[in-house]
Amino acid sequence: MTKRRIIGAVSFALVASVLAAACGGGSDSSGGDGTPKKGGTIRILTSGEQIAHLDPQRNYTGTDLAFAGSTMHRSLTSYKYEAGDAGSEIAGDLATDTGTASNEGKTWAFTLRDGITFEDGSAITCADVSYGVSRSFATDVITDGPTYAISYIDVEDYPGPYKATAEQQTAYDKAVVCDGNTITFNLKNPVADFNYTTTMLTFSPVPKAKDNGEGYDMNPVSSGPYKIESYEVGKALTLVRNENWNAESDDLRKAYADSIVYEFGLEEATMDERMIADAGDDQFAVSEGIQPENLQTIFEGDEAVKARAIDYYDPFVSYTNLNNETLSCYEVRKAIYLALDREALRKASGGPYTGDFADGFVKPALALDYAKATLPEGLNEDGSANVEAAQAAADEAKTKCPDVAARAASGLNFYYPDTPIWQKALAIWQDNLGAIGFKIKPEAVEPSQYWPTVMNPETEYDIARGGWAPDWANASTVIPELFTTGGGFNLTRNSKDADYAEFESLVNAARTNLDRTAQGKQWQELNQYVVDRLWALPGTFLKAQSIWGSKVGNTFQWGPFGAFCFGNLYVK
Amino acid sequence: MLLFITRRLLFALMLLLAVSLFTYLLFSILPADPAALTCGKNCKPEIIAANRVRLGYDKPILEQYWNFLKGIFVGRDYGTGAAAFSCPAPSLGYSFSQHECVTTLIARTFPVTAYLSIGALIMWMSLGVGLGSIAALKKGKWQDKAATTFSAIGVSLPTFYIGLLVLFSFCIWLRILPFPKYESPFVNPGAFFTTMILPWSTLAVLSAASYTRLTRNGMLEAMNEDFVRLGIAKGLQRRTILRKYVLRSALVPIVTIAGLDFAALLGGAIITESVFSLPGMGRMSIRAVVESDLPVLVGTTMVAAVFIVLANVIVDILYGVLDPRVRAK
Amino acid sequence: MTTPLLSVENLNVSFATPDGVVRAVTDVSFRINTGETLGIVGESGSGKSVTASSLLRLNNSVTASTSGKVLFDGTDVLTVDEDEMRRIRGQDIAMVFQDPLSALNPFYTVGEQISEAYLVHHPKASKSDVRTRVLEMLEKVGIPNPSKRIDEYPHEFSGGMRQRIVIAIALINSPRLLIADEPTTALDVTVQAQILDLMKDLQQETGMAIILITHDLGVVAEVADSALVMYGGRVVERADVMSIFSVPTHPYSWGLLGAVGSLDTSTRGHLATIPGTPPSLISLPNGCAFRPRCSHQEGVESKCANNVPVLRPIEGTSSESACHLADHQLVSIGQRSSRS
Repeated sequence: MTKRRIIGAVSFALVASVLAAACGGGSDSSGGDGTPKKGGTIRILTSGEQIAHLDPQRNYTGTDLAFAGSTMHRSLTSYKYEAGDAGSEIAGDLATDTGTASNEGKTWAFTLRDGITFEDGSAITCADVSYGVSRSFATDVITDGPTYAISYIDVEDYPGPYKATAEQQTAYDKAVVCDGNTITFNLKNPVADFNYTTTMLTFSPVPKAKDNGEGYDMNPVSSGPYKIESYEVGKALTLVRNENWNAESDDLRKAYADSIVYEFGLEEATMDERMIADAGDDQFAVSEGIQPENLQTIFEGDEAVKARAIDYYDPFVSYTNLNNETLSCYEVRKAIYLALDREALRKASGGPYTGDFADGFVKPALALDYAKATLPEGLNEDGSANVEAAQAAADEAKTKCPDVAARAASGLNFYYPDTPIWQKALAIWQDNLGAIGFKIKPEAVEPSQYWPTVMNPETEYDIARGGWAPDWANASTVIPELFTTGGGFNLTRNSKDADYAEFESLVNAARTNLDRTAQGKQWQELNQYVVDRLWALPGTFLKAQSIWGSKVGNTFQWGPFGAFCFGNLYVK
Repeated sequence: MLLFITRRLLFALMLLLAVSLFTYLLFSILPADPAALTCGKNCKPEIIAANRVRLGYDKPILEQYWNFLKGIFVGRDYGTGAAAFSCPAPSLGYSFSQHECVTTLIARTFPVTAYLSIGALIMWMSLGVGLGSIAALKKGKWQDKAATTFSAIGVSLPTFYIGLLVLFSFCIWLRILPFPKYESPFVNPGAFFTTMILPWSTLAVLSAASYTRLTRNGMLEAMNEDFVRLGIAKGLQRRTILRKYVLRSALVPIVTIAGLDFAALLGGAIITESVFSLPGMGRMSIRAVVESDLPVLVGTTMVAAVFIVLANVIVDILYGVLDPRVRAK
Repeated sequence: MTTPLLSVENLNVSFATPDGVVRAVTDVSFRINTGETLGIVGESGSGKSVTASSLLRLNNSVTASTSGKVLFDGTDVLTVDEDEMRRIRGQDIAMVFQDPLSALNPFYTVGEQISEAYLVHHPKASKSDVRTRVLEMLEKVGIPNPSKRIDEYPHEFSGGMRQRIVIAIALINSPRLLIADEPTTALDVTVQAQILDLMKDLQQETGMAIILITHDLGVVAEVADSALVMYGGRVVERADVMSIFSVPTHPYSWGLLGAVGSLDTSTRGHLATIPGTPPSLISLPNGCAFRPRCSHQEGVESKCANNVPVLRPIEGTSSESACHLADHQLVSIGQRSSRS
């Protein structure tokens, strides 16, 4: 796989310079200070009360996956523990390599390495990996985790190991086969990037004897270089070295620090101050997230502080879904897009540190799958509204699709989560669209009900916000998810569009293309395909900021997760 | 006396039942869907529906309540097959977000709140009664004015503001104390004290304010009483008069009010615990509210209610002990 | 004449208040000998209570300013140091207050409070010694079942009993002067008589002097040897008890006596009151304080209006009076009013 340089516009320069400095190896981005050394304690500061899920099959947030994966839970494959684009490449973790596909991607086999052990010294076997995967099927107990194993693996009605009858278990064992130390997955459909799927901790081994179901979250067994010494919700999670981890069996993890302490419940208002002050033990700490009011102080003030902080792309994009059944007219969709003052919207949500204007739905971090898309004619680069062009499109719509134009003029159902930021955004939308004669009918939704509401096929929205992050470093978890009827998160209702059939077959072709580089090009084209039709309006490539103490090394932000590569942090 | 206590305790029990039922009913009319709140990125309506069943929120509210009540006496079982587990009696339920039986959670967090409350009580009483006495004795002079001003400012200040001010002052600007990191006094007494001194001082300053005023007014009133004059007329020393006559009289209502304030604090000093990162019951309740974690919510509400009720009973008894005139005939 | 036990000379007491200076006591002088009973009479606001509390320096030292002399057995009470004052209080001079419920500390038993009074001045006394004395005292003041009641609290006694306890506290150290500030005002008429009798008996026994503050002339008639009438902070008449009832020599006294309910007059049921109200002690009028209510000013109106009358001996009597009327006028009107 070749590396791709990021061909970015000016707005990507900051990210590019940071990533460029880190490109090509495991050196830290704070500017060379010699080789990493072993020892010391790294502290991770958070205002959260606990880690949502330490159970590998239930773990599904970027930071938590980065943390657990780099310290305790090895999986069949893993991303490389490197900064920049290299961090989005995969390598064998428990497996000797990135797996062998056959049957055009319907069958995948992995051979386990020698010398892989749990924290008690017992060997990790194929059965342990198979058991771990089977747990993810028990969705009544093992909740909140990714469900790819369930949707991909060729077995029906398997309820998981706790409730399975002998028959059901046999059926599962036929789909996930153990032969010595080779594990083979038989999938329902071809999945070209299944070896990316196996980076998820769903494919982490769990010893059956130690599996206490619901409570496993608090005491998972480690297969990595660290193990849990103590875990107190609201106080701290302390990891210490796992003496039974064989460094020879692990190319990726370095385990420099002797111990890692995750401190919970810290007061948000003081965290930034502490990190800026960099005093005492805080020099060995890292903190994710910076309060908006402190961003200027950190990034535009003292150079020494700035050197310990980073403003980077996290995995998320935000965008606007349009209902392509009711707004079946491209001119109307274009008019809406051109009329928006995206700069004002960005300001309302917190300003330039919240992100950059997106040119599509695939972020540059998915290096192989990203190319700068061509945006509609008239869209201003600086994010301001182009009222003339918008009005022109709106006028065109009146002749081309008078029904839709009339609908836009009488009122478009605008669904949004009822939060202070969105109330501000609503005002801007109403203003912007009002300028071209479109009307908005606001529908505020109680925030925790937002997704269930818009995902309900009965809900009649015309415009509804969307947000997404790829589940692994392949746009196969973006384009199909968001824009095909089979995808779990398609809120564009584009299945009736004239081009949909063509689109779908192109997507399927990409999905099953085992040539990764070629596949990447296909995703780039498909992204452009969507942008050309504006089935959804590109929004923002979201950014995040983090800061670390002066004595912490290897603080690059890990591309696929948008978090620190926690397990490889070291004390200077 | 025994009858009195028994009656009050029975009443307290009924009150607790009412509180728990009320909490359940209130919860059932919440607009937020607790099943949806646990749903992560991949949230689909089927998952939410499954969550509702798993968490037990699909059953009618009274059935949920009944299961809860039963659990207190016989414990409660969860899950099926190999993944089944249980919370032994007295079970107040299970928190699926903290993966722990509620009773265990409360047993773990309550001592922190208790240490916070006790330390704060000692400090605010010393400070409040001390300043109030000085103010009363030096009525009209600068000490009185200073104490009264302190009192007026103290009652108007919000806890959050003072807490942050204390935190910033001692840990960031002056760097006299390390950042609060709670440790049990039996495990690491040093860390315990350097952590607790901050919230104790915060609460002391805030609460002392009203006790300064109470003490000052109580003492001034007492000083005007006839029996104080008689005491002087007996030839008693000034400090004896202050102790046995003035303070003794002024303290009776103060002690009883302090008892009630203390009980309220035991229910969880939410803001203080949050600002100073104390893993106490208050912080746990606020988290339960945000996450709509009903079992934890009910558990902590009931514990708080227990203390309020108990405090009222004790205060009633205490009043009788302290003031002979009030004793039941 | 024997050296008086207590000699008050030109006592002046004023209080600083937010509304102004209150001249509570102005130029008050009197004497009392061992074994004598002096009654100080006047309406509320006449300065009688302040005079009494001044004798033990009980006034608030912050707001009160006191001048004059209070010579107890030769020692000026107003100028001794605090330690000496504490020694005098409760031992040489004792006081009984008006409201026995509020005068007793509600938080301690009766026994504890009487013991306390004794122990202050006899700190080395043994516990049993103290208890014996307390029980003795309780018996003496007429508390039935003293060994049981010694451990009870003030609120468990009736009003009359409580006053007896206050008297017990006052007398346990056998003081030479007892000051009783309206001791019976808060009690029933029947209980009043008992208390007064008790005080007289104890006086017989110990030979102590008594200053009795009251607004009730009947009480003065009962127990006092001499009387001091106060009005507007000043002494307006001083006389022995016989004289004050037979020949009162001040218009205020005439009014008071007219207001005394007598069992054998036809005015029974109608207490004559003196029209008008007592003067404000903050803004005392020029001249005689009683002038607004005095109906005997013929011929001396301008003097009454401009000059404060000075206390002087009245010819033909052993009394002193502060009035601008001539001696013979005072005597003749006085004789008449006592017969009305």
